[in-house]
Amino acid sequence: MLCVARREFVDAIAGKWFLLCSLTFALLALAISFVSLSTAGSHAFAGFSKTTAGLLNLVMLVVPLMALTSGSASIAAERERGTLLYLLAQPISRVELLLGKYLGLSGALICSICVGFAISAIVLAWHAGSAGAGSYALLVANTIVLALAMLSTAFLVSVLARRASIASGISIFLWLTLVFLSDLGLMAGTILFKLRVQEVFALAIVNPMQAFKMGVIHAMNDSLDVLGPVGAYATHTLGNALPLILAGVLVIWIALPLLLASLCFARRSTL
Amino acid sequence: MRRDLPIILLLAWLLAPSWAAGGPVQDLIDRARPGETVIVPAGHHREHLKIDKPITLDGHDAATIDGGGEGIVIEITAPDVTIRNLRITGSGSTVSGEPCAIRALAGPVVIEHNTIDDCLFGIDLRESPGAIVRDNTIIGKDLEEARRGDAIRLWWCHESTVERNRVRRARDLVFWYSEGLTIRENRVEDSRYGLHFMYSHHTVLSRNDLRRNAVGIYLMYSNDITLEHNTMIANRGASGYGIGLKDCDNIIVRDNAMLANRVGIYIDNSPSSVDATGLLEGNTIADNGTGILATPNTHDNVFTHNALIENEEQAAAHGRGTLHLNSFSRDGVGNFWSDYPAFDGDNDGIGDLPYEPRSLFHSLLSAEPNLRIFLHSPAQQAIEFTARVVPELRPEPVLVDPAPLVDPPAMPEGPRDGRRAPMLALGSALILVAGGLGGVLTHGQIRTPTYRRDAQ
Repeated sequence: MLCVARREFVDAIAGKWFLLCSLTFALLALAISFVSLSTAGSHAFAGFSKTTAGLLNLVMLVVPLMALTSGSASIAAERERGTLLYLLAQPISRVELLLGKYLGLSGALICSICVGFAISAIVLAWHAGSAGAGSYALLVANTIVLALAMLSTAFLVSVLARRASIASGISIFLWLTLVFLSDLGLMAGTILFKLRVQEVFALAIVNPMQAFKMGVIHAMNDSLDVLGPVGAYATHTLGNALPLILAGVLVIWIALPLLLASLCFARRSTL
Repeated sequence: MRRDLPIILLLAWLLAPSWAAGGPVQDLIDRARPGETVIVPAGHHREHLKIDKPITLDGHDAATIDGGGEGIVIEITAPDVTIRNLRITGSGSTVSGEPCAIRALAGPVVIEHNTIDDCLFGIDLRESPGAIVRDNTIIGKDLEEARRGDAIRLWWCHESTVERNRVRRARDLVFWYSEGLTIRENRVEDSRYGLHFMYSHHTVLSRNDLRRNAVGIYLMYSNDITLEHNTMIANRGASGYGIGLKDCDNIIVRDNAMLANRVGIYIDNSPSSVDATGLLEGNTIADNGTGILATPNTHDNVFTHNALIENEEQAAAHGRGTLHLNSFSRDGVGNFWSDYPAFDGDNDGIGDLPYEPRSLFHSLLSAEPNLRIFLHSPAQQAIEFTARVVPELRPEPVLVDPAPLVDPPAMPEGPRDGRRAPMLALGSALILVAGGLGGVLTHGQIRTPTYRRDAQ
């Protein structure tokens, strides 16, 4: 299994797509750090500063895109090229193969996330001192969890799709849905149906992006009151359980799609 | 009958302190002549005191008066009483009768350098004009906010001074029907309303420091008040404000710092009289959820020389509406807005285009506050982008600053920490993680051809 992971990791790191993504991510993180430093702010009175808010937005856009596109190509592309048959001829089980690939790609993703954040951390340290290093570390950790969740979802797509192009099409659509469409739809629903706070909250955290965002904000502020009535409601009624619930959502988004992918992959015929 | 006598005596001895004054400290007070200083012997005195003549009670920082969890610990019924250097603890905790550490029913009195803890109300002055309350430390009972009492309450105490007190975990510092007060350099933390004015006019509040309360300073129905050089940080109650002004005329808010509050300053129908005004000048309003929040009927406030920096929402009307009944510049000088794309062709420090914030997402927020849960998400950006692309969707600006400043007025230096080590360490650690992971996962790959071991 580790061999598969290794091979997958090396392939991914060597691939152009990953290089492009990591570079984009690092550059954007860098840009955000510079821009937020150049505005008059940067006195970190709040645990949640403008820099973290900007990085949060960037992470929610780029990281899921990286995870979804790279993950969806993994199995589907091998199947299309016919190399999947060769891999399955090796004396490892199908689930081992799948998990090995997952592990390898996770490693590659974590690497590129760490590099991106590290560059902007060094820039921030140079220009603004170290206020908020703890929050920054929390943001990195949360980002990795989000990446794993999205990768897991992508694997499910990859196992189910017949062709690589279909898999990446579906994953792009998924990205669009999770990042924009579901939130916009929920906003419209909130306005049209006058949803109550508990309904808005329950519907919002189903989306791993929102769970991730709330998790980061809660970790930094120890409260979601910046998010208005819904956030205040969640903070007050759920109390200490809130971070656990938010983390739980992300863990489910890691475990469930991966489990389903394993099951489908184990059952399905080779092609 | 004889058999019961010891028991009765024992009971009488046990109950005596709560019946009537009569402990050793009260004896000293009773024997003192007016004008004398009574030195409380060092140690712990479980007593309730009544002071009915002008004396000074001095604990020399070594004496504790302990009410034992009942009633009012020290009650003053004569003017010209001074209480200093005492620790006072253990008032009652039920709200009925408002048990407190010190209650004065006459004035003036001086309460200074005392430490008060485990008392429901702290210092309660009723009709004690000219009082001086300074350098006291007051820590409230460990109760939920709704059941706590006020740390300091002045009721009809004109020309009093409250300064350099430190208060934690109380309800309010509240001033009722008191005029011409001097309130300065107090520090209030983790309470409900840091400084609360009710029907109290003609006062200057300066250099107070209010942190993590529900509301920093709340003025209600109080006129002709100046707030200067106060600091409000992280006052984030469910309806939390750095400063709240409700139906107050002729308020001057100058050179204060409102940082990281839920709302920096909230203006509810102030000024309320037709010919009254309000002035907000030179304040730093930064990192709040909303910088300036005002009810749409609020009018005739002048905002000039303020710095609004990185507030999630710089200014908003409470509910639907705008702030157009107020002016955001005076004599051609407006305010600094950190989200203003500065354009200053003639280099006079004043932007050439007016500042007109019109965020579609924020206007949706004022219609449906629950949407705030979607703050800081790409969907919010998508909405703003749509509004920029489709001008028909752009809402009316919530305010117009005709002369925005290009650079912020001199700002107070934040508690910035100059060390770089932790952040640098974090950066290097991240690189190490990336490198390590890469190393571990590629190591085997380079040495051994793929799947060789498996294939055998």
